[in-house]
Amino acid sequence: MLFDETTLRKLKQLTLVASRVRTGAIKGDRRSSRRGSSVEFADYRDYTPGDDLRRLDWNIYARLERPFIKMFEEEEDLAVYILLDGSRSMDWGEGEQHKFLYALRLCAGLGAIALASGDALSFALLQSGGIRAGFGPMRGEASLSRMFDVLEGLQPGGSTQLNESLHQFAVTPRRPGLVILISDLLSADQPELGLRPLLARGSEAAILHLLSPDELDPPLSGDLQLVDVETGAQQVVSLDGRLRTLYQDRVRSWIRDTRGECRKHGVGYVQFSTARPWDQLVLLELRRSGILK
Amino acid sequence: MTFLSPSALWLLAAALPIIVLYMLKMRRKPVRVSSTLLWTQLLLDREANAPWQKLRRNLLLLLQLLILAALVLAAARPAIRTPVVASGSVIGLLDASASMNAVDGNRSRFDEARQAVASLIDGMPSGSSMTLILVGTTPKALAASESDKNALRAALAGATSTQGSADWQAAFALAAGAAHGSQGSTTVIVSDGGLPDSGLPALPGDVRYVPVGNLDNNIAITALALRPTAGAPELFAEVTNYSQADRTVLLSFYLGEQLLTAYQLKLAPREHKGLTLDQLPGASGVYKARISDPHGGALDALSLDDTAFAVYQASSARRVLLISKGNLFLEQLLASLPGIKPFKALANQAGSVQIPAEPFDLYVLDGVYEDGLTRGNLLMIDPPANPLFVVGEPFQQMSSVKVNPSDLTRYVDWGNIHVMQAESVKPPDWADVLVQADGGPLVFAGETLGRRIAAVTFDLRQSDLPLQVAYPILFSNLINYLVPPTPFDATQSLRPGGSLSIVPPSGIKQIAIVSPSGQAVSYTPGVGKLVYDGTAELGYYAVNFIANDGSTTADYFAVNLFDPSESDIRPRPGIQVGRTIINPTASRQVGERELWQWPAAVGLVLLLVEWQASHRKPLRLPSLRRKGSPSPT
Repeated sequence: MLFDETTLRKLKQLTLVASRVRTGAIKGDRRSSRRGSSVEFADYRDYTPGDDLRRLDWNIYARLERPFIKMFEEEEDLAVYILLDGSRSMDWGEGEQHKFLYALRLCAGLGAIALASGDALSFALLQSGGIRAGFGPMRGEASLSRMFDVLEGLQPGGSTQLNESLHQFAVTPRRPGLVILISDLLSADQPELGLRPLLARGSEAAILHLLSPDELDPPLSGDLQLVDVETGAQQVVSLDGRLRTLYQDRVRSWIRDTRGECRKHGVGYVQFSTARPWDQLVLLELRRSGILK
Repeated sequence: MTFLSPSALWLLAAALPIIVLYMLKMRRKPVRVSSTLLWTQLLLDREANAPWQKLRRNLLLLLQLLILAALVLAAARPAIRTPVVASGSVIGLLDASASMNAVDGNRSRFDEARQAVASLIDGMPSGSSMTLILVGTTPKALAASESDKNALRAALAGATSTQGSADWQAAFALAAGAAHGSQGSTTVIVSDGGLPDSGLPALPGDVRYVPVGNLDNNIAITALALRPTAGAPELFAEVTNYSQADRTVLLSFYLGEQLLTAYQLKLAPREHKGLTLDQLPGASGVYKARISDPHGGALDALSLDDTAFAVYQASSARRVLLISKGNLFLEQLLASLPGIKPFKALANQAGSVQIPAEPFDLYVLDGVYEDGLTRGNLLMIDPPANPLFVVGEPFQQMSSVKVNPSDLTRYVDWGNIHVMQAESVKPPDWADVLVQADGGPLVFAGETLGRRIAAVTFDLRQSDLPLQVAYPILFSNLINYLVPPTPFDATQSLRPGGSLSIVPPSGIKQIAIVSPSGQAVSYTPGVGKLVYDGTAELGYYAVNFIANDGSTTADYFAVNLFDPSESDIRPRPGIQVGRTIINPTASRQVGERELWQWPAAVGLVLLLVEWQASHRKPLRLPSLRRKGSPSPT
């Protein structure tokens, strides 16, 4: 079990927010901006031939002698796609701060929220430029245990080729929805570009960018030979206090630039450290950023 | 600034192999990271991967390069040009006499003089050499033609002032010897000017004078003497004011540590006053005179001559027993010698005599020998057969008589002495023959088994010796040897460095002399007198005679300054060498003061820091990140 019942109860109080997604397939728990056939009145419009006469407002027609069609709020489900970076760089950190474990819990939390909201939840594990594992769409709380089983069976591995993986995800026909990418973004790719095809089809996207504490402030010094656990690439460095400060500046600049690019492309962006308890992140930070409510 | 060994700067090239070796041996610790993406971008931006960047922040390499630079700088011998008194072949005469102990301000004149010589050494240009002579009671060369400044400094550091007068004649002889053979030597005299006013010979080359001291404030005890009288001894003391001001002093007299009396004296400038004390206690002991300020303050600049000592030895008559069948010559002689209390025991015709039970200092056996005399010193005249030496047949061969030079034959003229017949004696191993005739020794003396024994091998009545001047002289010498009046004469005090003749009493196995500072020196007495010259300190010395039976008796003698040329400490404007008045010399030559010690010291400190740093592994540089700095999240 990735988290306990108490946390699950708290999560069920939340709902994923997708303000621009409008194409629900079945009626769900959320209100759509499309005018439909629910009972909640929304507006009037002129009658056009072919309209359902049952929706004609006869009272207005009697008073004004002009036919108007009544429009109602339509409640529909939301397609939620959680894309998890499963590269080897995610296999980093100790204990509760292990990035992949942290990301799995985040997936499970968001998935639980989606299922509890009646949304159509889909999941994909991005590895080595493709989609290595996935499930969904699934709906309803009855799917929780299945989701947990699938998530607990996932393992990190392979390289990070985010844009290629996102492209593969985008070429598969899917109804528009909320796409949440969870990744450390330790790749030369610009993920907001990879998300662009999805955005163009009416989806809404958010990036949850997680980094471990020693990636933010490496506890290193001296003459070192850095070995990349994902690619095996080596980098020699004579690390002193000044260079460490430069590294921290570089990380801040990278995060700032990524946030700026995401904002420019209409992609939500939240960066956080795995030192922060994941449930606090979900219950506080994601609500504050508007991804949840 | 100049470099005396600029070629040493080439050693800086050693930095290159250090850097290369450092780069070659640089071992990097492999560390796994989640991604090198950001590091690579960062290092590309900063070019931090360049070789020089790798080295830039390395503390150990930096320290090693700094150490090399400091040591090379020291090896290059940096120097600054300074004015000096002399250069070339320099002979330094450093005054170490008693007056140099005067304190002008907060340091002694000797320290000031040593500092002046140190400056002279520091400023010596390369190629110069110095002979350094310490002018004390006995001048000695501390360094001879030495060009190594470290050796000169070490020699100077070992120099100490003395408490006696300086022997400038001997020092000038040494300086002249050092100057001989060197071209253009310069003699530098560093002194307070207390040189003899005349009589010093001219020195070859230039002579320069570096004066030290500026005060004339000194009052001295210039005489202290004891004179035995018929009653109690009299003590004479003289105090002299060498300053240019009226002074009042308190003159105190002590016997041992017991204060006898004190007087207040008023002294005009350059005035001396004498004082005689009588009615002193008649006991032997050490008398001390001390001058002090009546108000308890500091008296003067030179304290060495503020105290003087005098030793009184109460004389005691030596008991001499004459055992004879009757000899008027000997009886009259013993009665006339001073310090002798004679006794007489008549022997019968068979030669036997009743020896008194009480001991005597000396037994004079005239033609007899008593077997019961197993102790005490003996003077044997015309000896019969005895166990001490072999007596043979009489002889008359006196054609040539030889007097061997000795303290015992001093002033003895044997030329007019005739001996008709003497006993043939084979001189024993323990004895020295003093007068030798053809047929055998006429007079011999020596010491055996703790007894002193002298023998005259002929009957005085068969010679004309008793009628000659040599008779009382010879017998006085013999008796003073056999029973010395006192081991040494302590009535007159010694000057520092003077020698004292000690005639050890018989039966002494060891003599221990303790100086005023408590340093003891032991001697084993041999034949004849002992000459002691370790009198460099002022004060009184204890001479302890340790007898064979372990008993100890002590006598004392005093060493006092009593030298007006040392007590008169006023600075002299010039000194006379030969016929020339030498005035104080200004620094008129250019020398070089070396500064290599400073970079060497810095190099040593850096070496210690590098050692400390290299033993702290891994080397952790301090983090520049401030506590509480904002996190990227």
